[in-house]
Amino acid sequence: MNAGQNTARRIASKTGSSICRSCRETISRNAYSTAAAATVTDNHTEALLNHIPPATSPSTSYGVQAGVVLSRPPVITRDLHPFESAFFLYQRRLNERLALPFTRYFYFKKKTPADLEWKRKIKQRLTPARDIGRYKGYGDEAWNDELLVGAPESDVNWQVERLLEDADKPAAKDEHNPGGEVEGLVQKDKVERDMVEKPMPRVTEADLKGDVKSLNRMLQRTLYLLVKNKEGKWTFPEDRLAGKEALHDAAERILVHSGGINMNTWLIGRVPIGHHEAKYPTAKSNELGLKTFFMKARIMAGQANLKDNKLGLADFKWLAKEEVQKTVDGKYWHSIKNMLAER
Amino acid sequence: MALRELPLRAFSAVCRDLRPVVPSLRSSARRNASTDAVQELESSSSLTVPPPSQDVAKGFDPVAQSKARDGKLPSSRYQFKSPKYYRGPLHPHQPPPESDPSSRLFQPGPFSLPPLEQTYQSTIAPDLLALTYVHLPPGFRSPVKEVKGQRLREWTGDSPYYKNRPLRPPRGGGHLSLLTPPRTFRNVPKITKVTVHSMVKEAMENSGYIAVAGMVLQAITNVRSIPHQARHNVTGWGLRSGKTISVTADVEREDAYHFLGKLVNIVLPRIKEWKGVKGSSGDDSGNITFGLEPDQVALFPEVEVNYDSYPPKMIPGCHITIHTSATNDRDARLLLQSIGLPFYGKYIN
Repeated sequence: MNAGQNTARRIASKTGSSICRSCRETISRNAYSTAAAATVTDNHTEALLNHIPPATSPSTSYGVQAGVVLSRPPVITRDLHPFESAFFLYQRRLNERLALPFTRYFYFKKKTPADLEWKRKIKQRLTPARDIGRYKGYGDEAWNDELLVGAPESDVNWQVERLLEDADKPAAKDEHNPGGEVEGLVQKDKVERDMVEKPMPRVTEADLKGDVKSLNRMLQRTLYLLVKNKEGKWTFPEDRLAGKEALHDAAERILVHSGGINMNTWLIGRVPIGHHEAKYPTAKSNELGLKTFFMKARIMAGQANLKDNKLGLADFKWLAKEEVQKTVDGKYWHSIKNMLAER
Repeated sequence: MALRELPLRAFSAVCRDLRPVVPSLRSSARRNASTDAVQELESSSSLTVPPPSQDVAKGFDPVAQSKARDGKLPSSRYQFKSPKYYRGPLHPHQPPPESDPSSRLFQPGPFSLPPLEQTYQSTIAPDLLALTYVHLPPGFRSPVKEVKGQRLREWTGDSPYYKNRPLRPPRGGGHLSLLTPPRTFRNVPKITKVTVHSMVKEAMENSGYIAVAGMVLQAITNVRSIPHQARHNVTGWGLRSGKTISVTADVEREDAYHFLGKLVNIVLPRIKEWKGVKGSSGDDSGNITFGLEPDQVALFPEVEVNYDSYPPKMIPGCHITIHTSATNDRDARLLLQSIGLPFYGKYIN
């Protein structure tokens, strides 16, 4: 992040009206005291060679707008592709064969309840790994280590359940029935266990209802705030720059004016991440069209509230990328699609 | 012999006449240079083939099949075994690549997609890019000459001793710092490696300490730890050369992300009155180090689960170095802050 010396802002502040930017920059730079004269003349001739005449202010131009791409990042991990989960399971099973044997007595002291529990479990699954099913890498039938088609072990939910089951600790252990070989005993045992808290479902209520205004929907995806403007078009929150306002200042103002103050947001950087250019069908007085520069922002907490917003917005939605494509019009989508995250 | 070949020759003669028809047809249908190559590809992928039907899959029992077989299957004569020693590139018995499970160096993995890595890819990296991007107007050429190749100055002057003299050391300091290239989507800083290092002073007298330190490091990092010996005698510190004094674990890829995830989400929040990583930490080239006390190391879930197995007061403290692909400490700190590592005090870049 070498934002030190030559940011566009500083360069722009240095530019005068009489000479071009690159010449200005080259000339105004102080050479070190050593061989100062030589370098200055050298730079100057070079600058003359690279001279770009300064732009005169045009009679017609584009109006400038700022837009805010307000997003909620993914909250949970994504669902694995079937190939990924199959590959990971294969590698985990292979690891059971290749890894050094489990150092049992380092983890379970002899004749403790934990040791008895361990014995019972290892008898069932034959391997220290908890979530790969029965696996035996040694012995006469070691060759039979592939999962068959449709085996429950390849289902991710099954693996999660096995992990949860393993995490359950016995509430009180009966000394006389260490193995728990009999089915009935195992069942009775399960009732007595302190159950571990189950993880929250990955699909939320908002997903089931199809509530696009909720921030609790599509937890695996990035959600973007789209608003319906005066013309009835779905866009990101946008507004014209007021006077000499900077883009990031405008972005913060737009967030307050559109979604209200009930949003805890973070504006990422001061550089726009994309732009959209719209030409007017008939040129207005000295304005060809409108250019919108999009600033990136994240929502940390809160929710959008369009009640008495100052931009005349009618409605809002929190949408993932492919839903954004269906909602906005084609040209707009073409300009914004590359700045939206795939996930 | 000639008689036997006769029908074949007749057939090939007919074919020779027929042959020109086919290319002319093909050339008329040709649209571009790659069409032929595309036609050679199979239209259907093997991945689209439906799996075997339910009853076939359910009825398949490999163990029962092998037991029902009368005799043994004929054993394969040649069973490949990787050579124990590498005997050079000209030896006929070459080891397979490391990725082959029959290789002696094969290590299985990866086993999962760490949550921290997913967060990095989906959220952190794009944000860092937006934060650190520096826009330059089109047509802008830096007035400072881009230094390429040799960055050290030569000795210039009339002295005959300047000839073939080693280059002058860098300005204003002993070392040449890394150059930071302009930020693009390709060079967003990321975590390349984590090194966990533990020097145990007590190991000079009692080698049990080093064994415990090695076990702890292995448990918390999931990587085999490497012991190191002291190279010099330092009487002030009680060091004797040749004595094993420290252990290191180099954690990479999946393990590194899991380790950092555990550290940031489980261990650090449970440390009482931990201020964070010191802002002046760093080696000027994007690698940041901080230390954990023994009682803080004991907070790792892997140690906690069988805390009694470790002899009391032998659990070591450790230094954790996070290597990033950033070229300066400022960028590295920004990355680590975004994964949830707090910093305190004055930042020194």
